Amino acid sequence: MNIDHHESFQHLIDESLAGAISAEREQSLREHLGTCAPCQEYLSASNRVIAGLGGFSFEVDPTLNARVLASLRRPAQRVQSAQPRHRRWALISVAAVVLTTGGSFVDLQFGRLIASVFDIQRMQVQQGLLAFWILPSLCVLLLFPLLPLLSKAGTHREERTL
Amino acid sequence: MESDTQQIALGLRQGDVVVLEALVEQYQYRLVRYLIYLLGRRDGVDDLVQETWLRVLKRGSSYDGQSRFEPWLFRVARNIAVDAMRKRRMFSLDSNDDDGVRPAPASDGPSPFTLAARTEDAQRVARSLQTLEPVFREALVLRFQEDFSLQEISAIVGAPVSTVASRIYRGLATLRPQFKGETA
Repeated sequence: MNIDHHESFQHLIDESLAGAISAEREQSLREHLGTCAPCQEYLSASNRVIAGLGGFSFEVDPTLNARVLASLRRPAQRVQSAQPRHRRWALISVAAVVLTTGGSFVDLQFGRLIASVFDIQRMQVQQGLLAFWILPSLCVLLLFPLLPLLSKAGTHREERTL
Repeated sequence: MESDTQQIALGLRQGDVVVLEALVEQYQYRLVRYLIYLLGRRDGVDDLVQETWLRVLKRGSSYDGQSRFEPWLFRVARNIAVDAMRKRRMFSLDSNDDDGVRPAPASDGPSPFTLAARTEDAQRVARSLQTLEPVFREALVLRFQEDFSLQEISAIVGAPVSTVASRIYRGLATLRPQFKGETA
């Protein structure tokens, strides 16, 4: 058997150990290993390396876990306290969408009726709805993405003062 | 019923201390070992572990619970280690020579591998491990100690699968001569 032949099977051994071999090639390798001493030796040395890698036991400071958990406590509380705030913002956002579309709907469907009931012009109804209903809702909706940033800035200021 | 990974994802999003305690308990030694392999030293590893967990909590919402937690955790740890190395202007993680071997760093004492070797095979491997490029050591520990697939390692180290496989082959090739001519 020539050297190139062994090299190709030894590469298959590497592929097999790395988990990069197909089932078909694995079968071919297994058949070859049954009859080839140099490749068996190659596999044995590779397995010794892997066994060697598993023979280390690194010392871990017994206080490390406690230190890590102590350092996590405060950030974890911040994450916890941010949860209801996120929900609140989501509710505000939904409410703003509903109000904005609701205002437009009222204007379209009941604008004439309102104008006749209060004996005013349709244009005045539209302006009133726009100024006191639709625009404020729209402002809340557009400013919503900025609220978390403003809140975060406030939190950082609080931390600095502590 | 929620899977373990989904529970972890939910726990991280909510800053659940019980979930964090369980994760720290479960993965602490593995993180320490991985970082020692990556850095080739013991000092400073505890600080990196601590930073890793802080970032896990901070970026917890980016873990979706759809895939295994371990590769995500090790990727966070790796990013922390790489940042720290850049700040300290230590050696680069990029391999820059062909044989994957670099000179052993100047050190006052024995390497962390020599100190941690508990078997004869480990003692032999320890001699060469310290001189191996960090990316090769990293590939070896992720494959043979953490049992990650090539695809998972590729995601952790941010390199193509073929590159990861090549690092494993070269890492093995560097350490194998220690056992040449012997059978198990």
